[in-house]
Amino acid sequence: MRMVRQWLRGPMGALLYKELLEAWRDKRALLTAVTFALLFPAMITGATVFMFKVKSENESRLALIGAERLPLLAQQLAGEQLLVDVLEAGEPAELLAGEYDLVLQVGEDFASEYRQFGVPRLYVYMDGASKDAGRARRQLQERLAPLQQQVVQQRLVARGVAPQLLAPWRMEMRDISTPSDRGKMILASVPALLIMTLFVASLATAVDASAGERERLSLEPLLLQPLPPWQVVLAKTLAVASLGWLAGLLSVSALTALMPLMPMAELGMQQATSLSGVLAMGLLLLPLALLVAVVQLLLALGSKSFKDAQMRLSILQVAPLFLLMALDMSQVQLDRPAWQLLPLVGQQQWLKALLVGDSVSLFAVLAGSVVTLALVAAFILIGARALRRESLLGAT
Amino acid sequence: MRPYHCAAGCANGLDGDGRAVFSINWAGLFEEHWEKWLMAKELARKRAGFTILALLLANVALLRSADVFAGESGEKTCFLDGWSQPLHCYQVPVGAGEQPAELAVAVAPAVNPDGSEPLYLLAGGPGQAASDLVPLLPSFNRINRNRDIVMVDRRGAGRSGAFDCGLEEELPADLDAFAMHLSGCFQEQRARTEDLYSRRTVDDLEEVRTHLGHEKIVLWGGSWGTRTALLYQQWYPESLSALVLDGVAPIETKVFLSARAAEQALQQLQDACREDPSCAGFGDWRKDLDRLLAEWGSGDARLADPLTGAAIGRRVPRWEVANAVRTALYDPGVAAQLPYVIHQAARGNLLPLSGLSSLFLPASDTMSMGLTFSVACAEELNRISAEEVAADSRETFLGSGFYDLFEAGCRVWPVAERSYPTPEPRDHPVLLISGSADPITPPDYADTRLDYLTHKQHLVVAGGGHINSARGCIPDLIAEFLDTPDEPLDTQCVGEIRRPPFMADAFGPALDAAPQKNSGGEG
Repeated sequence: MRMVRQWLRGPMGALLYKELLEAWRDKRALLTAVTFALLFPAMITGATVFMFKVKSENESRLALIGAERLPLLAQQLAGEQLLVDVLEAGEPAELLAGEYDLVLQVGEDFASEYRQFGVPRLYVYMDGASKDAGRARRQLQERLAPLQQQVVQQRLVARGVAPQLLAPWRMEMRDISTPSDRGKMILASVPALLIMTLFVASLATAVDASAGERERLSLEPLLLQPLPPWQVVLAKTLAVASLGWLAGLLSVSALTALMPLMPMAELGMQQATSLSGVLAMGLLLLPLALLVAVVQLLLALGSKSFKDAQMRLSILQVAPLFLLMALDMSQVQLDRPAWQLLPLVGQQQWLKALLVGDSVSLFAVLAGSVVTLALVAAFILIGARALRRESLLGAT
Repeated sequence: MRPYHCAAGCANGLDGDGRAVFSINWAGLFEEHWEKWLMAKELARKRAGFTILALLLANVALLRSADVFAGESGEKTCFLDGWSQPLHCYQVPVGAGEQPAELAVAVAPAVNPDGSEPLYLLAGGPGQAASDLVPLLPSFNRINRNRDIVMVDRRGAGRSGAFDCGLEEELPADLDAFAMHLSGCFQEQRARTEDLYSRRTVDDLEEVRTHLGHEKIVLWGGSWGTRTALLYQQWYPESLSALVLDGVAPIETKVFLSARAAEQALQQLQDACREDPSCAGFGDWRKDLDRLLAEWGSGDARLADPLTGAAIGRRVPRWEVANAVRTALYDPGVAAQLPYVIHQAARGNLLPLSGLSSLFLPASDTMSMGLTFSVACAEELNRISAEEVAADSRETFLGSGFYDLFEAGCRVWPVAERSYPTPEPRDHPVLLISGSADPITPPDYADTRLDYLTHKQHLVVAGGGHINSARGCIPDLIAEFLDTPDEPLDTQCVGEIRRPPFMADAFGPALDAAPQKNSGGEG
């Protein structure tokens, strides 16, 4: 601890201060980072709320034609989600074009057929091209089924037959998923987006601190300072990572803050992100933020120009998303311990688990983080060697 | 943290350790360095404690605390018929020392646990198991969003060693044969009867509560389960935060005297039928019923088995018919078929009567009769006098037809008498639910016998039968009550619950009849 303190009091401290100052002074880079960090949690929340609305809250309107002779039918159909209007007459196509989602027309001699044990018809008119038709039809069937069951039961009882004879067996569904599994479906994209946030948020700063500094010709004086090159790379890495990491933290916090707005429980999903989970997510993003920063810096340093650096990093920022999607689709069992040692994959798996309140293996997180940090160290050393090369400065 | 997971896991100290480490590290990290981290100037010049190491250590602590979630023990995932979601099942040892037993406990875990007290379901009978209440879970899904729902099978019921005496396979033909069968069962398993009574059940429940690590609980009791709940409230008031009682059997009410209640339920059905155009045509079917029962004599052998269609080959006694009518009144959907069934039977067509009796088949095999008689004989039958029976059965269709069954059974089931304490005032919030046409626990039980409860609300479902928790808006009202037990509920929607349509003829309900108004009398 004391060593670190002393070290920071020396030239390294000044260098770090300079890098951080430059990183955080760039208002546009900051704005990009914050916008992206807040945008995707808001979008996920919006999409979930919308999905729930579509699933549950929408009412359907049913026009019931010819049922003035069947008051019981109208009474049994009307319910919370199905508004029934009994109409004497009407043209189904017109009604469907108007405010109705479904038109139910009762056959002419329905009542007498029913009483004589015939099979009277109910005609359902629907607009198959309308997105509401399916829901309305389902709601109609849900309302009609209990009435049908009552009729069948009474008919069998009247004949001395046990209604259970009609069901030679009963299927019992056993759903082995847990609420947190179902939560994963909605939150599946979040880890990759969180990781992408790191890339997006630190991109501008990474370019500016490397290729930008070179073009401003301020890299040369920096290298003339009595500091080992690795410290220069480290300081830059820390400055760049600070932006990415804080954007990541912002995203995690925003997501957690918005979670209560999502009707997770109503969708049978668990909303289990705990405070310690949020803090853990923030912390395990840190090594990754450092890795992203150092890789971005190296790529930018190695590019020919500022423009070239921007191009390279833009490609790089979508790379993890594609990589993780490809791995997901390839059905590889990513939750195996060996996979979790891999940067990106490891973090993705842990974030996924923590988001839905699952536990993660402490050992895997530690080992994976150490691997990530070791890579950071290796890249810093590579960067330091690169800085010694004169050609680096000459590139324009 | 879901408290019941702590049942065994808490003992290993993981929880305490993990959290302690976490708070020290994170607090230190925050308080000392957070401001400085934002101000890079200070960071560079003065002392700064930003180290990756500290962060990693903090992470270790955090993950350790998160790991405790995985440290649940003693539970198994299981499924019960009627509910597709996995449950957590436990075997909980209770009554260590004199009366040891192991109880099967099933927990429907909350989707999003928020620390609300779990809801324990207490089943009826006595003799039904809490796990038989699984079909209520779909209706209780709003409650289950933030609360665990716990089903403890009491001793001698369901998966805690059902004490069934083999009666569910075949009901003996007459009361004497029934008593003989029961007597044999008692002689064989006498020792089992000794720990089957309410105090033991309540104590067991309290042990389960502690075992699962629940600080306070809320109880839902149905039918006889309300008696258990009310006794729990007397004996363990500190463990309870609120009660929901459906089909209330107050401690001092002799619920086995049920002829008057059944008669009132039948009269309400008559009133509702008279107002319904599709039912009014059956005329005075009540008189038909009286005549049918009077002329039934020593029995009728013409009845057919509703499953096989063959003649059942024994004389069905009158008390069995009267009890079938009584049982039909439990469920308004079945009761709606009574006028037609009786009208037909009085005119010589007994098929509908056979058909009606088949509707009780699925429910009849869940009752553990050994448990039923152990509790009923020890706690209820011995406090009922012959005069009371006579007064209760006078001028009713049932007469002593229901009581006689238990009276005959208890004569051969000589268990020790157990009496209840006089109830003491309690101020827990209590939600009472009754059906106005309940043939066994009518609403006036809850209205008149619970004066010692100072904080209660009563929902009465017009025309409702026995147990109404799953009907209409009642599940929502229960959920609302549990969330804000001190607020009065808006009970308007209870009035919208209707009687199911009457059976009009062999074709079923009359779809072309004007729908009946909500009738059935006021509770």
